[in-house]
Amino acid sequence: MSRVITITSGKGGVGKTTSTANLGTALAIQGLKVAVVDADIGLRNLDVVMGLENRIVYDLVDVVEGRCRLRQALIKDKHFPDLCLLPAAQTRDKDAVTADDMIALTNQLRAEFDYVLIDSPAGIEAGFRNAIAGADEVLIVTTPEVAAVRDADRIIGLVEAFEKGHPRLIINRLKPRMVNRGEMMSIDDVLQILAIDLIGVVPDDEQIVTSTNRGEVAVLDRSSRAGRAFAEIARRLAGEDVPITVFDDNPGLLNRIFGAFGIRARGSER
Amino acid sequence: MTTLVAIKGGKDGLRMHLNEAAGWSEVLGALRSQLDQGAQFFNGARVIIDIGNRSLTEEQLAELMTLMREHHLEASALASTSRESRSAARAAGVVARPVTRSVTAPESPDNALFVWRTVRSGQIVRHHGDVTIVGDVNAGAEVVAGGCVVVWGRLRGTVHAGALGNRTAIICAIELRPTQLRIADLIARAPDGAAAGHPEVAYIDGDQIAVESWERYRRSNRSDL
Repeated sequence: MSRVITITSGKGGVGKTTSTANLGTALAIQGLKVAVVDADIGLRNLDVVMGLENRIVYDLVDVVEGRCRLRQALIKDKHFPDLCLLPAAQTRDKDAVTADDMIALTNQLRAEFDYVLIDSPAGIEAGFRNAIAGADEVLIVTTPEVAAVRDADRIIGLVEAFEKGHPRLIINRLKPRMVNRGEMMSIDDVLQILAIDLIGVVPDDEQIVTSTNRGEVAVLDRSSRAGRAFAEIARRLAGEDVPITVFDDNPGLLNRIFGAFGIRARGSER
Repeated sequence: MTTLVAIKGGKDGLRMHLNEAAGWSEVLGALRSQLDQGAQFFNGARVIIDIGNRSLTEEQLAELMTLMREHHLEASALASTSRESRSAARAAGVVARPVTRSVTAPESPDNALFVWRTVRSGQIVRHHGDVTIVGDVNAGAEVVAGGCVVVWGRLRGTVHAGALGNRTAIICAIELRPTQLRIADLIARAPDGAAAGHPEVAYIDGDQIAVESWERYRRSNRSDL
């Protein structure tokens, strides 16, 4: 049975697209058939992060408006033939599709893929509503900053209002050393406010900047701490019970297992 | 003294009863002062206007609509036994219904609202009576109540108690760290710094909002608590 999962955040620039690209790739590494959909129509990015920009012929709006078949718009990943990207249109805007269009589209994708990951635009308007319309589950991305957490809280309220179940949380760009110095919100601080299940913590990692600019996702780089964190989140998504580790920026010194704090990811027993 | 204006919550939302016998300008004056007092409470609310058997001309109705618009109050319907008033309402684009005398709003003051969830940023809980929230009120969330507000959790958002002008309303929370507190017509900003670590109460003391620990409040103010 396939699952449609929307990755959203409210605030822009917290790592939705990076998370979508990495989780999609990590699931494909596990041998699953995955489609990643860029629902940020008019501001497409997912293709750039995955290094597939120069292969785009048709896009999501072309499919919705019947100018091509779904199969024609799907772009195969460079590394994994079972990973496909459905790019957003760049020359149109959010009004080009409706929530019903998105539901119809995700239902078509369900037939061919194990996982459909939808990269939501920032904001709470039509683009966001379209992005979650066809979703079974929602992942919220936030960074440990007050403004991002505030927006995540707003989005969680909306996701619950749309009856998409209990969203799960990815805390992105955590800097353990700043947390230890008391200069950044800790995982506990964020969870106390948002009161939802944590599915993973991604450490701040400068390599992400270079890898996304090159169009190579971090999970393919074994030395990347963020990549390892995303790989773990993908395993939890698939139902494995993996304790949440926080990969510190000083490897070997602090690799704290947060299970001791009572924070465990939800997943079925192995 | 007869009540000129009474605003009550019922099953179908807020209902504004305008005295059917008193002079129209008198009624409008009373409404204006009531709305001024509860400006925050009414902001964006939809009400049913109940004018009883009063006959309103189109000009009089227009006056009422202007006053309501000024206070960001929307008329969802006009209830009246008077045919003339109903046709004036329809002309002004307001739904009109014959008043149903038997189904008047309940008089009982014990109409409390119980909310069992986290009130998140962007969400508003609005109620004409007392409000109890079991859960947190997060920053960016708003609770507006005609009566008291009790938060069995962390209060980080904005709460307005006694929003219809009741200065005896209080606000209690296990952790009182609001963005802003309002009681009746007074506003207080939360002091910077960490939470007290014990339940606290906010109330009006003289002409400002005071906050103190629940323990001290119950000992000093109320022997019956």
